[in-house]
Amino acid sequence: MSWRLPKLVPRSAPVILLVLTLAAATGFAGVSHLVTRFTANQQSRGRKLYALGLSAASAGRYEDAISAFRAALTCEPANSQYQLSLARALRDSNDSRRLDEAESYLVALWQRTPQDAAVNLALARVAAHRGSVEDATRYYHNAMYGVWNSDPDGNRRRARIELIQFLLKKSAPERAESELMALATSLPPEADEHLQAAQLFAQAQDNSGALGQYEEVLRLDPVNAAALAGTGEANYRSGNYATAEHYLQDAVNADPQDANSRQLLASSEEILRASPFHSHISDAERNRRITAAFARGEQRLTECAQQKGINLTPGPGAVPSVSPLTTLQSRWSATKPDLARLHSPAETALPDTIMDVVFQIEQQTAAICGPPQGTDLALLLISQKREAAAR
Amino acid sequence: MSSPVSTGTSSAPSAQPVTVRMQIPRRLFATLEGVFNEEVFFLILSVFIGIFSGLAVVCFRLAIDWMHLALLGPLPQTHGWRLFAVPALAGLVVAVLVIHVFPGIRGSGVNQTKAALYIFNGIIPFRTAVGKFLCAALAIGSGQSLGPEDPSLQIGASIASALGRQLQISREKLRLMAPVGAAAGLAAAFNAPISAVLFVIEEVIGRWSAGILGSVVLSAVSSVVIVRWFLGSEPLFRIPVTTFKRPTELVAYAVLGIVGGLASVAFAKSIGYLRPRLSALPRWTQYFQPALAGLLVGLIAFLGAPQIMGAGYDSMDQAMHGQYAWKILAILAVLKILATTFSFVSGSPGGMFAPTLFIGAMLGGAVGDVERMFFPHLTGSTGTYVLIGMGVLFAGFLRVPMTSVFMVLEVSGNYEIIVPVIVANTFSYLISRSLQHIPIFDLLTRQDGLILPSLEENREETILRVEDAMLAVPATILSAQDYVDANYHRVVGSTDPAFLVRMHPSGWNVISREQLQRLFKEGKGELMLGSVLPKQFLPSLYPDLPLDSALRYVNNYPLIPVVNRADSRRLEGMISRESVFNKYGS
Repeated sequence: MSWRLPKLVPRSAPVILLVLTLAAATGFAGVSHLVTRFTANQQSRGRKLYALGLSAASAGRYEDAISAFRAALTCEPANSQYQLSLARALRDSNDSRRLDEAESYLVALWQRTPQDAAVNLALARVAAHRGSVEDATRYYHNAMYGVWNSDPDGNRRRARIELIQFLLKKSAPERAESELMALATSLPPEADEHLQAAQLFAQAQDNSGALGQYEEVLRLDPVNAAALAGTGEANYRSGNYATAEHYLQDAVNADPQDANSRQLLASSEEILRASPFHSHISDAERNRRITAAFARGEQRLTECAQQKGINLTPGPGAVPSVSPLTTLQSRWSATKPDLARLHSPAETALPDTIMDVVFQIEQQTAAICGPPQGTDLALLLISQKREAAAR
Repeated sequence: MSSPVSTGTSSAPSAQPVTVRMQIPRRLFATLEGVFNEEVFFLILSVFIGIFSGLAVVCFRLAIDWMHLALLGPLPQTHGWRLFAVPALAGLVVAVLVIHVFPGIRGSGVNQTKAALYIFNGIIPFRTAVGKFLCAALAIGSGQSLGPEDPSLQIGASIASALGRQLQISREKLRLMAPVGAAAGLAAAFNAPISAVLFVIEEVIGRWSAGILGSVVLSAVSSVVIVRWFLGSEPLFRIPVTTFKRPTELVAYAVLGIVGGLASVAFAKSIGYLRPRLSALPRWTQYFQPALAGLLVGLIAFLGAPQIMGAGYDSMDQAMHGQYAWKILAILAVLKILATTFSFVSGSPGGMFAPTLFIGAMLGGAVGDVERMFFPHLTGSTGTYVLIGMGVLFAGFLRVPMTSVFMVLEVSGNYEIIVPVIVANTFSYLISRSLQHIPIFDLLTRQDGLILPSLEENREETILRVEDAMLAVPATILSAQDYVDANYHRVVGSTDPAFLVRMHPSGWNVISREQLQRLFKEGKGELMLGSVLPKQFLPSLYPDLPLDSALRYVNNYPLIPVVNRADSRRLEGMISRESVFNKYGS
């Protein structure tokens, strides 16, 4: 059996080229038809597999999802949605070896559509998985300023919040704070949104920022327990113990199960009871508080020394141990006689001098023996507030 | 052709416009025909060859995908008996088709294209293209461990050959049609025009020639354009970030080259050993050989390694992204060698390009992971080793060193890894050459009883040059500006039969002793030697020219001067017929 093509005809170059062009056009049309049909068939098959993959992914069955997405991609290799979903499944499968592949899919997508916010967000999450602050920040920013198919404002806000949470997790509060500033200006008038922002400000230790957002929440929802607690805590952290006490009391009333607020409330009350610098107390009360604080200081010193096995009052002939605690004990003993002059109106600087000794004791013992409780904690916090004010 | 057309009589008023209309196309055609000399026509034809080959390869790939989905379903979800039953049954059908309908499609498409170029005057039956298309689509689609590139190459070559024959182009051009089509087919299959061009130049044509290079490039580029038009420009693999940071890491890549070279030898030797033995078995066994190969491939897949089925590009992609542990990678490499060897030697139509890449990818990944286990400071990712592994096997198994380098670069689009690629490929190539003297394509050709030029041997053949046969500068050089008798007295003591004459102001001539003696005796001693010599000068040669170029002169002249390229008056030596023949005879 011998197969031969029919002989082409005139040996005229233009005619030949014309015939070849027509043949190429016909072939092109034929192949177009074939490819279209095949592609449609493949797309239909791919959509079914993709749906399977999505349901598996939403159920947390990432292996099944990956398998289904891969199969869908064999049907439609260039489908961006399938690639993105596969990349997400690979990333979420808790297998660090798969991050490379996820990233590779995403980078390929990013190269095609660098403005696609969803791709940038997925890349940012991969970078976050890897712990790369620079890459993650870059991709999160791309996502924020990229093109979203739906709810662009909400998606941008959520991307920024995700970035802030990542930065806080990576101990980069300054960067987080600058993102929070931007976030604060773009929040809609909804209590939940402001509450989340306030909590992020608080995590970034920006108490004034947190207070601003909590106030906004309370303006929108005056009995919001979380906002009351947050406002109380932010005031407490800022050293506004009287205000803190007020809000924390409201928070405890609104949610009696709120142990943190209850604890902070107790601490605030203790501080307000112990502080000799309160503006609305009499001189006698101030002196009483100073005397009590001074006595408490010695007690704390003694307890700490015992805890560390240091003898603060060695007997005659014994070698005194060299420790900050013995130095403090000496200072305390030297200051003790001054207490008698506390009532004298001429000794205006004496309360500060006495309280300096107390504050030093509280700070040193906290450093040596660990964080204090109760009145000692109150005195320590008062000392920190005083120092901050002095700075 | 453009003879004037009679315009008839002027009494027919309507005849004038008709005549003009007829004349315009004829003149246009005549002008165009003048423009389209054979060289230009061949170049344009190359574009069409690329288009037709591209269209055919698109259909071929659709056919493979369609077969695969119809017979096996999407591979990640293929289960059960179909894994081994489908390749075995498809193997039976392929065997019947190959034995009874398309007997010419057995063997390597590369070799058949070379045979067309060197033996069959560029003729590859169109039937071969049809047979290759159908049988390879069925074999590869059913999961046989073979690749679509070699059949694509042959389909392209076959289309080009058929086109050339139909257009009755000259025999010289027809011979070149097959490689032009082969480049188009391979470029379309790999979606990599540079590698395809290099492969055809390196392995099929074997020489760089400006005449053919333009056509090969045009056809390759146009076929790739067609494929990308229809199937998109997605690369075969998603290339991860690949970097090369420290030169000391070249040692790690050299080790990969060594391992790859050894694997290449094992792969080539197993094919070289089994193929003639299976071919020598009784004819009835040939019906079952593809089926048994399919059964083996299916069983391997059924037992847990479906990655080895078909071309395996998806698995290479996953290996490139660190989806497999090194043990799995190593096992897959070994199993793929086994599966491809049996698929290929059974006579199933299909190529070894993709399996070679697969084996290289898996081996590269395995070697890279093991190296990093022992030397954690190595910075190359698994993807980098996988990519370089592909090039290593390409260099070692197919023995195409330049293509192997450019293929990796073209596929990865990353020139940062060029140094590791070259180092690893060089080691692989050298080891393969020293342990397997005959390259795989030459081996297959010899097993088929054909004697085709070994392009590797051609590349390395020592070329004799003029300087190799050159005699020393003679003691006696005559001058055209001296008198005949002065020149005669100068040669009296010499025994040389002929002498070079330096002409004025430049050029050389030659005179024999007898001629000079005769001139002297004829009383022409008072004449200038230059005035009595023939006017045409001697051709002169340069020392670096191939000695072959001297052959066309040595019968016409007793001596030929060899001069310096920078100063043609400066004599470097001379050659004679005896010196040239002695050199060829030595």
